[in-house]
Amino acid sequence: MRARDLATEFPTVALDTDAMAAARLLSRERLPGLIVVDADGRPYTVLPGSQVLRYLVPRYVQDDPPLARVYDEKASDELCGKLSESTVRDLLPDRQDIDEIPVVDHDATSIEVAAVMARMHSPLVAVVDGSRMLGAITVAQLLDSLLPNA
Amino acid sequence: MTTTLVVAGFVGAYILIATERIHRVAAALGGAAFMVLLGVVDAETAFFSEETGVDWNVIFLLLGMMVIVSVLKQTGVFDYVAIWAAKRARGRPFPVMVLLVLITAVASAALDNVTTVLLIAPVTFLVCERLGVPPVPFLIAEALASNIGGTATLIGDPPNIIIASRADLSFNDFLVNLAPIVVVLLAVFVLMCRFLFRSAFTYDEDRVAAVMALDEREVIRDMGLLVRSLVVLVGVMVGFVLHSALHLEPSIVALLGAGVLVAISRLEPPEFLEEVEWSTLVFFMGLFVMVGALVEVGVIESLGERVTEAVGDNYFLAASVLLWGSAVLSGIVDNIPYVATMTPLVQDLVDSGGGAGEAKALWWALALGADLGGNATAVGASANVVIIGIAARNGHPISFWQFTRYGMVVAVVTIAIAWPYLYLRYYAFG
Repeated sequence: MRARDLATEFPTVALDTDAMAAARLLSRERLPGLIVVDADGRPYTVLPGSQVLRYLVPRYVQDDPPLARVYDEKASDELCGKLSESTVRDLLPDRQDIDEIPVVDHDATSIEVAAVMARMHSPLVAVVDGSRMLGAITVAQLLDSLLPNA
Repeated sequence: MTTTLVVAGFVGAYILIATERIHRVAAALGGAAFMVLLGVVDAETAFFSEETGVDWNVIFLLLGMMVIVSVLKQTGVFDYVAIWAAKRARGRPFPVMVLLVLITAVASAALDNVTTVLLIAPVTFLVCERLGVPPVPFLIAEALASNIGGTATLIGDPPNIIIASRADLSFNDFLVNLAPIVVVLLAVFVLMCRFLFRSAFTYDEDRVAAVMALDEREVIRDMGLLVRSLVVLVGVMVGFVLHSALHLEPSIVALLGAGVLVAISRLEPPEFLEEVEWSTLVFFMGLFVMVGALVEVGVIESLGERVTEAVGDNYFLAASVLLWGSAVLSGIVDNIPYVATMTPLVQDLVDSGGGAGEAKALWWALALGADLGGNATAVGASANVVIIGIAARNGHPISFWQFTRYGMVVAVVTIAIAWPYLYLRYYAFG
């Protein structure tokens, strides 16, 4: 099966989209991530849900995980408040970390798609035909097509 | 010709280390490789010579302590103590800073200063965030305190480890000669914090409740591991104090402690090796080979003769120059390569004094100058570099000058206090 056969329409966000709106979209639609597009509508990168969490959880807690245990409900709510003052651009890792973006050509095979996801630890890939975005493939959709019928 | 090339290679590597044009490990290993290519160093001199080779006592002491700290980190004990202290201070910023500074200084003396700041910084962010005060003054104060506290013991600061091994000084020698002045310096530093960081002490009473609501017991993940780790740590400290009587090198004490802790902790290698800074250990090895080459071709010996001639029997003058000179140079270049280079030279001076007390005091001048001088600039000591890196990662960048304007004041004041201490203890009444 080719990438174009697997691709489905997928929500996109722009770099300047409000971070809270993007997080709510992820939550409401139960998405593993979002496709971020540039000003011309071309895929810029993928924003995985885990990256949103990485932005929310202070770096010092990521460095010293036991500190997470002292966060009560009120402090957790304050952390989520950070999203209201941020955009999708703020949520993304540094540019040097996303030079390579999880995008495949519409002609890519299932295994090619799987290889891109595995190498880039991405829960979804954007599928393009030249500069036109056709949609995206999630891990769940890919596994659906790869796994033998039970 | 070979001597000239060795000196040129050494100076070149030193410049690369100081300017950070390439990574310091690459510079040290490159310098060591150059010495091998010149034929000055071979396997025998690099690996097995006590005078010119890698000082394995230093390497394995550091390795052992890094493993011990890796296990301690898993227990959450640092987070516990820091949160407990913040609550004891009733959330008022200056008392919080004082307690964090004292915890950092004591922990730096018992472990080492770089690891201590790595462990204390995350919980400092948490407390400052809850209090709504800027974390940067607290982090700078902790880095400065770690360099002061680390001066007190053999294991507190990497330069001390090098000095102890090369000069055959014991843990108790450091404790007896340096700990008293470090206590005084810490007291002075705490008072200085009140003025240096006064703008950081305004706070909102309402936010104090957020600090008081923290439950320090939550951060202890495994009480059994904590108890076992503390028992071993106390055993290691006793081992350090008694190492001369037990005829055990400090490196063996540290390795034994690390081995016991690993065996009883049941942690996996990635956990008990987490805090081992392999790059630092390799950097030390490269440095030792480079300095060994200088010794091998006789550069250190001829320099030593000239310096000995210039000093004559005026050891207080030599101690003064060593103290202030080391402070200035340690502020410019990392104090580890500086001390590694200076130890053979100071050894010559001490030997020429026939091991008399006033000649031996030169070691304390070197330690005080290099350790306290490390506070002078943002790049003077590894702890400073580490704290600046942590601050940047957490969105609170500290510029070179922001650190240096505090560090310089603290370095000058502490060295100015250490100077009369050296005079009174070893030259006036010694």
